Amino acid sequence: MTGDKGNKLPRALPRTSLDGTLGTRAKLDDGSQKRIGDQLRAMYDELMQQPVPDRFKDLLDQLDKKKAGSQ
Amino acid sequence: MTQEPDLREALLAAVPGLRAFAISLAGQVDRADDLVQDTLLRALSNLHRFERGTNLNAWLFTILRNLFHSEYRKRRREVEDPDGVFAGRLKVHPEQGSHLDFEDFRSALFELPSDQREALLLVGASGFSYEEAASICGCAVGTIKSRVNRARIRLAAMLNVEDVDDLGPDTMTRAALQG
Repeated sequence: MTGDKGNKLPRALPRTSLDGTLGTRAKLDDGSQKRIGDQLRAMYDELMQQPVPDRFKDLLDQLDKKKAGSQ
Repeated sequence: MTQEPDLREALLAAVPGLRAFAISLAGQVDRADDLVQDTLLRALSNLHRFERGTNLNAWLFTILRNLFHSEYRKRRREVEDPDGVFAGRLKVHPEQGSHLDFEDFRSALFELPSDQREALLLVGASGFSYEEAASICGCAVGTIKSRVNRARIRLAAMLNVEDVDDLGPDTMTRAALQG
């Protein structure tokens, strides 16, 4: 079977070395790390900019009043 | 004991960050908001345990994370809700920037094991140090570092952003394929 070199591609793809335990030693190049970081922060910023739902303001207001009233 | 008004402000100021973290953890805005609400309630009833002068945000994130994990364990015993998947539910404000890029990124993020996802979110997005993230997750700093590293590598592989040249075997493969 040594002559069969038909399809070695799947084993040779980089992601095989990226999964599992080998991943702990691998390191991304700076450019890729930056792109991942930028996308993550962009996604997160969008979430952060959503208006705070009223239920949280109400909740904190209520607790303020309750505390004040119970004195 | 009355609450200081600045504490109310501090809690309110922490909400956007908590929500972003909760949405990215839970994948559903409704569930995330319930988590944030439970976090605030628990924080308020445990204020005596909070050490003044220490990081309020880190304390709140710890509460939220613990709530998420205990709830998640509970939910796993229930029937899985196929409609509850992240990709379908996060379209809260499609009018506010419906970036297709984000959709890809979000689905990739949710392919990560949850421990890697949370480590990456804390360090890469919420702005915590490795040390703070380790304390929030109750694990060693080295564990956080390796989770963040693995998360980045997996994301890069899923999103195909990596420069493959730095990986020896692949360069060899391409040379072989071209030759």
